[in-house]
Amino acid sequence: MRLPDLRDFPFYRPRLGRGAPEPWALEELEDHAARHDDPFGGRLRAGVRPPVALQIEMTSEPPVWSGLQPRELSAWARVLSRLWERFGLEAGQTIAFFDYGSNPCVLLSSSIYVSHLKRGAATGLGANVICNDGVASMTGRFLGILETVRPSALVVRRDLVAPLADAIATQGRRGEGALRWAAVAEVEGAPASREAHRLSDSLGVPVRRLLRADAAFLISGDCAACGFFHLDRGYHVEKLPEGQVAVTTRFAAECPAVRYRLGAGEIVAPGCRSEPAAWRLAWS
Amino acid sequence: MELTRRVAEPFDRLDLLSPAALRRWWTARVRRVLEIAVAELPFYRDRFSAAGFDVASFRTLTDLARLPTFRKKDMLAWQSERGSHRLGIERSVDPRAGETLTVSSGTIGTTFLTINARWRRVQGKSSARAHWWAGFRPGSAFVISAPAWHAYAAIQPFLAEFFEAQCIVVSGTYLPRYADRIVDALRRFRPRYVAMFLPMVFPILTAARRLGVEPRALFDGVEVLLVTGAPITAGMGAHLRELTGVARISEAAGATEGVLAMSCTESRGLHVSPDTCYVEALDRETRLPVAPRSRGTMVHCFLIPEGSVYLRYDSEDVVTIDDDPCPCGLPSPRIKIVGRWENSFRFGAQTLVPYDVQLALEEGVPETVGMPFIISREGLDAGKLRLLVSEPARDAPALAERLRACLEGRFGVASDIAWVRELPVAVKGVAPVLSERQVG
Repeated sequence: MRLPDLRDFPFYRPRLGRGAPEPWALEELEDHAARHDDPFGGRLRAGVRPPVALQIEMTSEPPVWSGLQPRELSAWARVLSRLWERFGLEAGQTIAFFDYGSNPCVLLSSSIYVSHLKRGAATGLGANVICNDGVASMTGRFLGILETVRPSALVVRRDLVAPLADAIATQGRRGEGALRWAAVAEVEGAPASREAHRLSDSLGVPVRRLLRADAAFLISGDCAACGFFHLDRGYHVEKLPEGQVAVTTRFAAECPAVRYRLGAGEIVAPGCRSEPAAWRLAWS
Repeated sequence: MELTRRVAEPFDRLDLLSPAALRRWWTARVRRVLEIAVAELPFYRDRFSAAGFDVASFRTLTDLARLPTFRKKDMLAWQSERGSHRLGIERSVDPRAGETLTVSSGTIGTTFLTINARWRRVQGKSSARAHWWAGFRPGSAFVISAPAWHAYAAIQPFLAEFFEAQCIVVSGTYLPRYADRIVDALRRFRPRYVAMFLPMVFPILTAARRLGVEPRALFDGVEVLLVTGAPITAGMGAHLRELTGVARISEAAGATEGVLAMSCTESRGLHVSPDTCYVEALDRETRLPVAPRSRGTMVHCFLIPEGSVYLRYDSEDVVTIDDDPCPCGLPSPRIKIVGRWENSFRFGAQTLVPYDVQLALEEGVPETVGMPFIISREGLDAGKLRLLVSEPARDAPALAERLRACLEGRFGVASDIAWVRELPVAVKGVAPVLSERQVG
């Protein structure tokens, strides 16, 4: 997918020098949204009305929205689908989420959760999907899901690792034998390794970490073989001064994500045996 | 097929059937679903066989009485027995496609519904019909207001596509602490049609005021506010209209297991969406149909033979059915779900639900419309009607006396009003029965 002409976008226009725009972070998008009273923070062309608008969870003052066309939703879901496949999700298995439905990892996994998505990232693989609302008071219901639905995979919001681990400690593991792996997700960035270890100890299965940056439509997962986060071919990463990393999302045209500053990390060249062509990211 | 031409804006030809023609349509549709169930769904094959029911003998809708009903308690027992959420009621024509499970939660436990793409398409169209009746039309933004665990979450994105609307996905979930995010969505996208769970409407209004936005400004440009999740009284409808300035307050009701009903322009009950379900109101003891407009337990057949198929399912909702002609011209009967039997309570020969108390108060003491209250479980256990009510700014003793007199006059039972400083914001608009310990 070809990137659009960034001069058409109010957010990028002042950031353009002779070539690529200056790298930017979420706060700058919030600033633009606040100053111009623009819910999309200047990342839409004038007069454009995207069929799908997502509120970026990490933004709050004001909340900033991103917009997507159906083909971009599909491309984003394909990124996630490849990730679920790499983690081991197969047809006939069930993936259970303990998070909000607005987390793109949930939203894109089934074609029923959002308009215009023809093939969900998990349902498209032939896998089943269930979501439990991402609030600690729903931990009991999640244990019921583990026991009755017996998912093969779990994705748990980072702030729910502790209540889930506590509930398992007092009430025992549920659905043992069915569960193969789990993953922990953070609202922005990646959870600390200790969160993954804690959940792994509690569930008795390997736990992967997810890296998420909704403003850039980025979803990535770490790798059991090399320990780094593998980057899908939908993303291009570059090194910035002072150990920072920026990402450009190739499939985002309606609401471009060009040189989004992810934070401190290190780019690692391809070479992992599990996905030899993938660029990787070392992220603490 | 016998048609009526009285519907001002029909969704399609099904809306134009006469009531008699609709019954014939329903009979054929129920028969088809029964045939599929017995051919493909082990749960029903065994159940029909045990009841000595032969689908070939099904002639009229009254033949449904020969089929046993089942309830959530039964499903939970079967789930536990089988160690699985799959009970043999799940149908999928494409075994390669993944399914999505939604949750039916309740006080006694959780059951699961299987949804697939075909279910969504057919149920989505039926839901579009209902939303059309509610006043929704193409071209507005559609703010998704159902969390992903809920079956409505499978419908709303379809509706956005169907009505060529922008699909607006708010981050977080539908709890009061996220209300400011919903306020942002309403302010930014200015939808003309808004669907909300009633318990969320009040936290949203509170959040808007906190952000310096008056409710009427927040809903400026909204033509229809569709509320669901709790039965609304006429007074509550008027209260919402007054608060928000929205001219049309519509009501949707149903059951996760496949009941959908929607108010029409006349607001005299909620028309059953005929291509979703066929609904009966049965006496809880005799299991025979109750008289029109009398209260019974809601038993339904889901008429979309995809995903989880519920046939003669007793959702244990308190329902009335009115099949008198509606001035709007729609042929399907109107239902009103006024609560759940588990929240009902008895005084002498009367069985009441919180809705009755709300209705009595708004008729007897009109200024209490919209005033949140809780019915004390301890009070009921002691044989009296004790309400916990948010204390008004002035004249509390006089108001308490009027409320008490109203309740005693209406229900003939000792009543008591306890003022509390504040009730949880989530209960506003929905009067629950709670222990006073839960209120704090």
